[in-house]
Amino acid sequence: MGNQISIKIDGKSITTEEGRNLLQVARENGINIPGLCYHRKLTPTGACRLCLCKITDIRGMIASCTIRVKEGMEVIAFDEELEQTRKFLLDYLLSEHNEHYDASYEDEFRELKHRYQLDDPANRKFTPIWQDLGYPVDGTSPVLIYDASKCIKCFRCIKACDEVQGKNVLSFTNRGITSYIIAGFDKWNESECDGCGECIQLCPTGAIVEKPHREKIDLEKIDEKVTTTCPYCGVGCQLELFVSNGRIVRSNGAEGLPPNDGRLCVKGRFGYDFVHSPDRLTTPLIKRNGKFEEASWDEALDLVAGKFSQILDEHGSQALAGYSSAKATNEDNYLFQKFVRLVFGNNNVDYCTRLCHASTVVAMLKSIGDGAGSNSIEDYERADCILVTGNNMIDTHPVTATFAKRGRNRGGKIIVIDPKWTPLVRHADIWLQPRLGTDVALLNGMMHVIIREGLIDEDFISSRVEGGMDTFSQLKELTEKYTPEMAEEITSVPVGLIEEAAILFARSKKSLVATGMGLSQQVIGTNNVFSLLNMLLITGHLGKEGSGINPPRGQNNVQGASDVGTSPLTYPGYIPVGDDDNRRRIAELWGVPYESLSGETGLTTVEIVQAAHKGIIKGMYIMGENPMLTDPNLNHTEEAFRKLDFLVIQDIFQTDTTPYADVILPATSFAEKNGTVVNSDRRVLRVRKAVDPPGEARQDWEIILEIARRMGRNIGEYAGEAAIFDEIAMATPMMAGISHDRIEEKGIQWPCYTKDHPGTPTLFLEGFNTPSGKARIHPVEYIEQEEKPDNDYPFVLNSGRILYQYHTATMSRRNKSLNDFANEAYVLMHPDDAARHELTDRSRVRLVNRRGELETSLRISDEVARGELFMPFHFSESPVNKLTRDNLDPHSRIPPYKFSVCRVESLQYVSD
Amino acid sequence: MDIHKIMSGYTPGMENILNILHDLQDAHPMNYLPEHTLREVARYLNTTLSSVYGVIGYYTMLSTKPRARHIIRVCQSPVCHLMGTNTVVEALRKHLGVGLNEPTPDGLFWVELSECTGTCEVAPAIMIDREIYGDLSENAIGNIISMIREKSGKVKKEAGH
Repeated sequence: MGNQISIKIDGKSITTEEGRNLLQVARENGINIPGLCYHRKLTPTGACRLCLCKITDIRGMIASCTIRVKEGMEVIAFDEELEQTRKFLLDYLLSEHNEHYDASYEDEFRELKHRYQLDDPANRKFTPIWQDLGYPVDGTSPVLIYDASKCIKCFRCIKACDEVQGKNVLSFTNRGITSYIIAGFDKWNESECDGCGECIQLCPTGAIVEKPHREKIDLEKIDEKVTTTCPYCGVGCQLELFVSNGRIVRSNGAEGLPPNDGRLCVKGRFGYDFVHSPDRLTTPLIKRNGKFEEASWDEALDLVAGKFSQILDEHGSQALAGYSSAKATNEDNYLFQKFVRLVFGNNNVDYCTRLCHASTVVAMLKSIGDGAGSNSIEDYERADCILVTGNNMIDTHPVTATFAKRGRNRGGKIIVIDPKWTPLVRHADIWLQPRLGTDVALLNGMMHVIIREGLIDEDFISSRVEGGMDTFSQLKELTEKYTPEMAEEITSVPVGLIEEAAILFARSKKSLVATGMGLSQQVIGTNNVFSLLNMLLITGHLGKEGSGINPPRGQNNVQGASDVGTSPLTYPGYIPVGDDDNRRRIAELWGVPYESLSGETGLTTVEIVQAAHKGIIKGMYIMGENPMLTDPNLNHTEEAFRKLDFLVIQDIFQTDTTPYADVILPATSFAEKNGTVVNSDRRVLRVRKAVDPPGEARQDWEIILEIARRMGRNIGEYAGEAAIFDEIAMATPMMAGISHDRIEEKGIQWPCYTKDHPGTPTLFLEGFNTPSGKARIHPVEYIEQEEKPDNDYPFVLNSGRILYQYHTATMSRRNKSLNDFANEAYVLMHPDDAARHELTDRSRVRLVNRRGELETSLRISDEVARGELFMPFHFSESPVNKLTRDNLDPHSRIPPYKFSVCRVESLQYVSD
Repeated sequence: MDIHKIMSGYTPGMENILNILHDLQDAHPMNYLPEHTLREVARYLNTTLSSVYGVIGYYTMLSTKPRARHIIRVCQSPVCHLMGTNTVVEALRKHLGVGLNEPTPDGLFWVELSECTGTCEVAPAIMIDREIYGDLSENAIGNIISMIREKSGKVKKEAGH
C-alpha cells in the first residue's frame, strides 16, 4: 500500500494512493474522462490523446493516463477548451476510420462519437480518407478477423498479448497513417498466435473480432450474460457467457474476478460449441441385442436400479464400483460418493485423479498434510524463482502460465525441468532436460549441490521439520553420493546446469514449485514428489507467502471431487475411511447406522478395472469418465469392460467407453448446471446455468438420487444445489464456512472453517497439517526403471497434452475453432533418430510394444531428446494408452503414462 | 551465405536486431531478407516473428522482396531535391533502362528513393550499397554505372576461371 494522498479533480477532493494512474483514479471516482488507448490492465500508451487534462504546475494539456497522482495535485478534467480539443481529435481520428458497425462488439469509439455529437458527418471538420489508405483485412486466423480500417492504433491488442498474456505475438508494420497491426509475417494463421483472444476482448473499436458465430452475435439481443467457471482445466477461469435464443454465442473472460481477471485461453473462449453439438445425448439408451435403443427415463432407471440390486443380492457389495467425474460439480460428486458408500455399501469410488496426481497427493499428504496446491495463482507472478517440473503449463494451464510469464517480465526467474521442450522454455532462464524417468537422481543431485554450497535453511529445518537437523542428516547422507557428476551420468543434464539451477532455486528469497504429470505419472511418482518436497523443505521454501508446491489440476473440478470425498481412501475433507470417529460423525449426518459404512478402503481406478478383469467387480456406474481412452494398457481394460455383467454410463456424449455400456443416461454439461467446483488454488467457485439441457437430459445429481430411490434407498432430499452444498459444508471441515451465497461474487479458498473465515490464500503459514504440525522429510533413492529400451523396443514413449485439445477430446473435438488449430494425432521423434530409421516427416508409422500397437503420423522435431518419443493422448484413432503400462506406483496406485518402451515401424512414405 | 555465422557476430539481444538484419540483407545476392532467414533471426533473438517483421516494415532500407545485387538509393531530401533528384532518376533510367523499384534485367541494379543520406554538401547524391556518390551529372552517373558493371563482370569472369 502506497501513501494515502489527497488530490482535486474539477474541485472534487479525492483520497487515493500515491503513484496511481490519474485517469484510473478519475474514472473510479465517477469522473468519466474519455479515452480509447487506456485500459486498466495495460501500461499507459498515451496514443489517442483523448484523456487530455490540465494539471497545476504542468504547462499545456497532458494525457491523464500518463500521469501518476501525487499529494496536492489539482486537475481540470473538463472545461470548454479541453472538450473542444477532444472533439477535434476525435473528429480527426474518425477521418481515418471505417465506421461500419454490426452490433457484434462493444464499440467504445462509436460511443464517444455519440457523446461528442459527431454522428452526423455534417458536424465534422474532416472528410473521410480511410478508403484511400489501402488498409488490409487479415481473416486467416481460425478464430479472429483483423480489419485495419477499423483500427485506431491504440496498441491495446499488442499490449494485451504482451503484458497480459505474456505472448508478444503482435506488432505493427509500416509507418504513420498507413501502419497497422500484424501477427507473424503479416499472416495471422502462420504466426505464433494461439487464439486466446485477449486482443479481441480489449480492442475498443471492433478492429479485432472473433470469427465463430459472428452472424449470431447481436449485442442488442443478448438475453442474458451468465458468469460461470470454465469447463476445461483446473485454473477455474471465470467466464461470462452471452446467451441469445437459448444458445451461447460468446464467451468472454470475466473482468475483475479472480483467478483470471478476464484472461482466457483458446479453449475457454472458443471451446463452447460442444454444448450445442447435435451429438449430445438427449434421451436414455438401453442396449438390446447389441444395439442401443432409445428408452424412457422410467424404463432406463428401473433397469439400472434392478440390475444393481440384483448384483448386490447375488454377489454382495464388493461386486459394484463407481467412477465419478472431475468435470462434474462438487454437488454431483458428493452425492455420487454418498451413493456408492450408502447404496453399493463399499468404498469403491474413484475418478481420474488417480491417473493424474495421486502420487503428488500421497507424497504431499505424508510430508506436509495437504495434497492441494499451497499457493494462490497470483504467487506465480510474485515469486522470485519458479521451478516448473514435468509441467507443460503453457499448453495445459495457459492462464496460470500468464502469471508465470508476467512474473518473469518483472524480474522473476524460471527454471524448467522437462525431458521434452515446452513453450515455457522460451521464457525460462534455465532448462534442464533429464532423460525420462530420472527425476529423483536429478533432484538428489540438486540437493547435493545445495547442501555442499551451504544453502540449506537450518532455522526452517530445526523449527518446522520433524526430527529437525537429525532427519536432515539422513537426507544429507543419502544425497552425498549423488554428486552432480553422477547425476549427469544418469540424467544427461550437464553438471554446470544442475549446479546453476540448484543454487538459483535455493538462493532466491521466494521459490515456488509447479509440479505436474511429468513427475506424478511414473511408477516411482510418489518418490519423485517426495524428492521435490525434500528440496523445498531443506531450503525453507514452504509455508511462506510466495513459496510452496503447486500441482495444477487438469480438469475444472479434480480438486473439488477429491475434497468432497470421491475417493476409495478418504471421506469428505480427506479423512481416512478407517477413521471411526469420522465415520460415526458422517453416519449421523447421513442418518444411517454407523455399521452400515464400510471402514475398509475401496479399490482405486485401475484396481477396479483389474478386479473387473478377474470377475470380482460385476457392475459399474460411470459418471462422466472415458476410461477406454484414459486408462493404461487399453487392451486389458477393454477385456475387463467386456467381462462386466452390467455397465451404466452417465455422460453428455457417446465416448470410447459407451459401446461397452448396457445403459447410457444423458446428463448435463457445465452450461446447464448450477453448483460449485474447486480450482487448483483451492478456490470454491460457482458454476451457473446458462442454457437448458438438450432433450430429456437431466442433472447428474438428480439421476443419482433417482437410481438410489428406485433401489429402495433414500439418500437425501435437496431443494437444489445450494442445499447439497450446505451438507457438503457439514461433512467437510475445511469447507465448513462456505456456502453458495458467500461465493456469489468471488470464490473462497479453503480451508475456511467458519462463516466469518476469509479463506486461506497460502497453506502452512502457521504449521503443516500433520499431527505434529511439522513437515516430514522422506529421503528417497533413485530407482532404475524396470521397463528398459532394448533392441526390439528401442524407444521410450512419453505422453501428454496439447493446448487445443482436452483430455479425451469428447468436448474439445466438438469445436470447429479448436479443431482448426489442431485435430490430428502424431508422435514426435528427434531428427537424428528419424534419419537413422529413414523416416520422413508426416509419414505414417506404427508404434508397437508388448501391450499393443497403434498407427499415427510422424512429426520430426528436436522438442524430444534422442531415443525418446512423445504423443498427445487426446485422439481416439491413435490411443497412446494401448502402449502404456498398468504397473502401478506402489504408494499411490498411479500408472506410469510417461514411460513405455516401443518400436516405430514405417507404414508408407508421403511424397513431397 | 551462413546465416548463423553472421548472427553469431552479435549477442542475441533485441538491441542488435538492426545490425543483424542489415548484415544478412547485404550478404544476400538479391539484397533482401527471405522469410526463412527471418525465422532464424526470431529464433536467435528468442522473440516472435512479428517483432522482427515489424522492424522491417518500419525501415524502408530493409526489404522482404528480392531486389538486385546493387541497391541505388537516390536521396530525395530537400537539398538533393532542389539540386536534381528527378534528373538523377531520369539519368539512371537512361543508363539502366528501369525506373524506380524494379530490378535491371541482369539483376545487377535496383533503384529506389531514400530519405536524407546526410551528404547535402555534394547534392544531388546517391548511395550505391554503402558508398556515397555526389555532385552527380548524367555523365558521372554513366561512368559510375559502367565502373560497377565492369567490376562485377570481372568478378564473374574470375569466378569462372
